[in-house]
Amino acid sequence: MANYSTSQFKNGLKLILDGNPCSIISNEIRKPGKGQASNKVRLKDLITGKTLEKTFKSGESVEGADVMELDMQYLYNDGDTYNFMDPESFEQYAVDETGMDEAKGYLVEQDMCVVTLWNNNPISVTPPNHVMLEVVDTDPGLKGDTAGTGGKPATMNTGVVVQVPLFISIGEKVKVDTRTNEYAGRT
Amino acid sequence: MRDALKQRSDFLANIRQFFSQRKVVEVCTPQLLGYPATDVYIDSIAMQVNQKIEPKTQYLHTSPELEMKKLLANGSGDIYQICQVFRDNEQGEHNFNEFTMLEYYRLGFDRYQLMDDMVKLLQCLGLCGSVHRLSYAQVFNEFANIDILNTNFDALKKIAKTHGLCTDFEWIEDLQILLFTHLIEPKLIDLSICFIYDYPNSQSALAKVEGQVAHRFELYLEGVEVANGYDELQYQADYRQVFANDIKKRHQLGKYSPKLDEGFLNALQNSLPPCAGVAIGIERLLSKVPKNALK
Repeated sequence: MANYSTSQFKNGLKLILDGNPCSIISNEIRKPGKGQASNKVRLKDLITGKTLEKTFKSGESVEGADVMELDMQYLYNDGDTYNFMDPESFEQYAVDETGMDEAKGYLVEQDMCVVTLWNNNPISVTPPNHVMLEVVDTDPGLKGDTAGTGGKPATMNTGVVVQVPLFISIGEKVKVDTRTNEYAGRT
Repeated sequence: MRDALKQRSDFLANIRQFFSQRKVVEVCTPQLLGYPATDVYIDSIAMQVNQKIEPKTQYLHTSPELEMKKLLANGSGDIYQICQVFRDNEQGEHNFNEFTMLEYYRLGFDRYQLMDDMVKLLQCLGLCGSVHRLSYAQVFNEFANIDILNTNFDALKKIAKTHGLCTDFEWIEDLQILLFTHLIEPKLIDLSICFIYDYPNSQSALAKVEGQVAHRFELYLEGVEVANGYDELQYQADYRQVFANDIKKRHQLGKYSPKLDEGFLNALQNSLPPCAGVAIGIERLLSKVPKNALK
């Protein structure tokens, strides 16, 4: 993979830092009157999800990371791995537990997800912003409370627990915002 | 549009009035020079002239400093200049290839007197915030818990590493500057007017050195570097040594490395009178002047 000089740094550029692929979030250049310029860079570690801050001297080169984000369809879970398919090439990718993180609570078969590949190996999965999940366990509903003033926890078929309005009952399908883990309606 | 032009015009008029009251004379020195700047990290813009007659390379000045020092060595007395300066390879939010500089020299002043004089200049431009004067060692001690004057290169590298900073430097001053930029400057944002003085002798530039420190100061307005001043070196031999050292470093970095400007060194045969001088970035200063503050 090519090396990138600090002058080529821009948001979204993928670099290898401490062995992990990272994506640039921001890049601030400082040039003191009498001194050398430096780049203060914020990056997201694509493996751990953590944000790091690194400072490079201008002109320094850093190894690029071969990272791609592809839209893939979620197929099934076989116990150990989560299986996805690239609808363009029909190529299938198996993602293990570590790469799934919070995404596994929102996986619905046939849904399109974004799978991040590093050197053609999947490292993380981003589910769609909204998914339809089925309530498998919650306290009995309160008939007539359609205003949704209160809330109660409900366990979904994927295992994730979401705060839902009181009128929701077991067996209903609800829309969940995967970015905030919030109830977003019934259809 | 016109309001902004008027503000800048009034601002410059106030500056000229300030110097006129103090009998400091405005001068105008050549901007097209035969030699490029020798500062390690300031690059001159080169241009080819007289293509049809006798082609030669000239350089736009990066600061009027040396030309003004020729005047001082010739007995000019107190002088100031407001001019455009040009620098190559500038980058960053506050850096441009062309900007306006105010440079002035006061005979018989030391850096403390010059800082006091600058406070009066700032006041007459409507900058009346509280003034902080902190030594370089003091800010490092207070804001980063680093004994900057007594920490060697290797120990500084270890400290830089713990802050996620680059450590791949040839010279200690580069690392000191990086630490200052990233650990100290962000803490200066809350200080409206702040002078930092007594830089480590590794960063003496053209300032007099006394033991561990150089008689150099910088002015920061809300964390932005606005001015750089010295108790000026007086003797030809001192200038020769600084230039030769900088040129050697430039060569090591693979940058252009010019011959010594013997013309300038010759002009200093009489040596400079004892004086202090400062260069001020006009656009940066103007950006901190409150609207409607100028009369």
